[in-house]
Amino acid sequence: MAALGLFANGLVFSSIIVLGSIGLSLVYGIADFANFAHGDTMTVGAYAALVTLGALGSVGPSLFGLPAAFFLALCAGFVVAALVAVATEKLVYEPLEIGSIGLLITSIGVAFIYRGLVQMVFSAESARYEVRQLRPIEALIPYGVRVTYHDVVIVVTSVVLVGTLHVLLRYTDLGRKMRAMADNPELARVSGIRTDRIRLVTWVVGGGLAGVGGVFLGLFNRLSPRMGFNLLLLVFAAVILGGIGSVYGAMLGGLLIGMVHEAMPLLSDLGTLLPLVPDAVGIPVGIEYAEAVAFVIMVAVLLVRPTGIAGEGG
Amino acid sequence: MVDIDVDAGPLGEMTATEQGVTAVVVAFGAVLLFGLLSGRLAPTYFLFLVGLAGMYALLSLGLNSQWGFTGLINFSVAAFFGIGAYGAALTTASSSPVAGGFNPAYGLVVALVAATVLALFIGLPTLRLRADYLAIASLGLAEVVRRVVLNERRWTNGNLGVRGIPGFFDGWPVLSTFPEAIPGLRIAVPLGATVELGEPFYRMLLNVLLVTVFVVGSYLLLSRVHRSPWGRVLRTIRADEDLARALGKNTYRFKLQAFVLGSLVMALAGVFYAHLNLFVSPATLEPITTFYVWVAVILGGTGSTRGAVFGGVVVVVLREGTRGLAGLEGIPLDAPSLRLVLIGLLIVLLMRFRPQGVLPPQRELIWPDVVDEAPDRPETGVREARGDGDD
Repeated sequence: MAALGLFANGLVFSSIIVLGSIGLSLVYGIADFANFAHGDTMTVGAYAALVTLGALGSVGPSLFGLPAAFFLALCAGFVVAALVAVATEKLVYEPLEIGSIGLLITSIGVAFIYRGLVQMVFSAESARYEVRQLRPIEALIPYGVRVTYHDVVIVVTSVVLVGTLHVLLRYTDLGRKMRAMADNPELARVSGIRTDRIRLVTWVVGGGLAGVGGVFLGLFNRLSPRMGFNLLLLVFAAVILGGIGSVYGAMLGGLLIGMVHEAMPLLSDLGTLLPLVPDAVGIPVGIEYAEAVAFVIMVAVLLVRPTGIAGEGG
Repeated sequence: MVDIDVDAGPLGEMTATEQGVTAVVVAFGAVLLFGLLSGRLAPTYFLFLVGLAGMYALLSLGLNSQWGFTGLINFSVAAFFGIGAYGAALTTASSSPVAGGFNPAYGLVVALVAATVLALFIGLPTLRLRADYLAIASLGLAEVVRRVVLNERRWTNGNLGVRGIPGFFDGWPVLSTFPEAIPGLRIAVPLGATVELGEPFYRMLLNVLLVTVFVVGSYLLLSRVHRSPWGRVLRTIRADEDLARALGKNTYRFKLQAFVLGSLVMALAGVFYAHLNLFVSPATLEPITTFYVWVAVILGGTGSTRGAVFGGVVVVVLREGTRGLAGLEGIPLDAPSLRLVLIGLLIVLLMRFRPQGVLPPQRELIWPDVVDEAPDRPETGVREARGDGDD
């Protein structure tokens, strides 16, 4: 019973991680550097939604316990985060003539600028969206599952977005070009693909999804200027677990890392859950180490299989 | 062609940037001197700033021997700084939950041993990784260390931190009573009120003495090591690891040695911090410290030992300067946000316009005697040496 509830929580948290990790993996594959500003792009999306929601108010019909304005705010989160990502690419990354390590270091500076500006405008205090707090759905409580309609919105929207991205990548010309470029940018360019245009599309998709992930993170917990940076390492763990540059790997990695993060209480009584294992067996790790366990998994994956689950070749 | 006067003293031998940096340093020193003389800058606070600058210089020296010499992207600086501080604090503090009250000298030893163990714990698995993976992995492991310090209350007091740390020289023969023994001075400074130099001042003076010993020792050691055959291998690894391997060098072993060496210097900075602040908390291990040190190293000039010291000083000026700036009337900004934006802008602008840093390594890679003995110009002209080009 408890396992089912943790599984449901894991699904909600995973959705947020997946939204972040897809963008990070896309940028890692196509722009070829580890973007440390990705977490703070999520923060930017979250605060853009906060401003939109504040301006529109919670009028209009409500859906799943959320006002219609929230869904507009979600779109605002996508658009603003995508715009910020594209502007950063144009202003900062594109003119640079340094390798991927230089870009990595630059992206740390970009992350600080985002976070510093957000903190200047909205203060370091945490904030909440102006939406009604919901009680868990009654019908599911007997099964040990305590999720709200907000959580349902998070999961459903993420599934829709991931599905859309899948269609875009698999069945459109643009998606084929993006996959070609992630595989081999040089070859893509000599085949006549306008690689700089694809790079921009990558930033739009990656930044936008990060923005949506940030809005959901704000709905799931609270908003604070550090929210994105705090999540960044988990998102990296998901990307590395899935295989850098692989979008499908990032989805799988995000799902696994989110599950591990939420299912920590199960580790201590592992024995009672698994068949063939004595009941006393368990890994006594407290939930305060949930993120630490995810990081250790990340390092272990890097050592044993640096290409991740879905990656091929170095 | 204008004949350049090579005998114009040390100033004449400097490059344009070096002259610029010297000018800025001299000007800044003059401002500080004016502040001290006019009584606007309290001498004890000034010494505290000097101590902080020395601490950042130490951290930069440590990172420079990892990133600058060897090319290791270590994002776990804060973990080594923290382990140094906690090692010293837990050994010496009166409120230590483990076994406090020892002489600070033992604290230093414990901190260095703990840092070595941590360096092996982080370095052994991660140093085989590609550069960008190393960055992510080391940041992740540093975060694991922070969580452990935060949550293992039995060992570290957790969130409360460790209080009651003695000064570094407590329990030493003469130096422990030095601050009380020295009579207080009242100096009538020319441009303002009288300044009192009492016990806190002498205490801080001892701290500055300690950090000076640490910095000078590390500086001499690292510059010496950088020029040694061992240092040359490190530089080869940074330039082209495959080449170093092709020359028969066990690059993993060299990388691990450089990693441990740098981590020890960072832990020294932590030990100093514990005895300067007399209180350590898990906030010491926040990743922001790591990025401050990175700014210092990149700003100073990657691979340059004196650049690392320069960068460390600049970071303290930036940190304390934003505090002062935000305190001024009419500027509605809070210091932490302003500091974040400034640090971020500094990183972006440096990478755009001067990725090699302000003082990139030049002559320091060559033995000084070689430079001194080398003639300023060839003793014989090229034409003469060839025999006037007749044959």
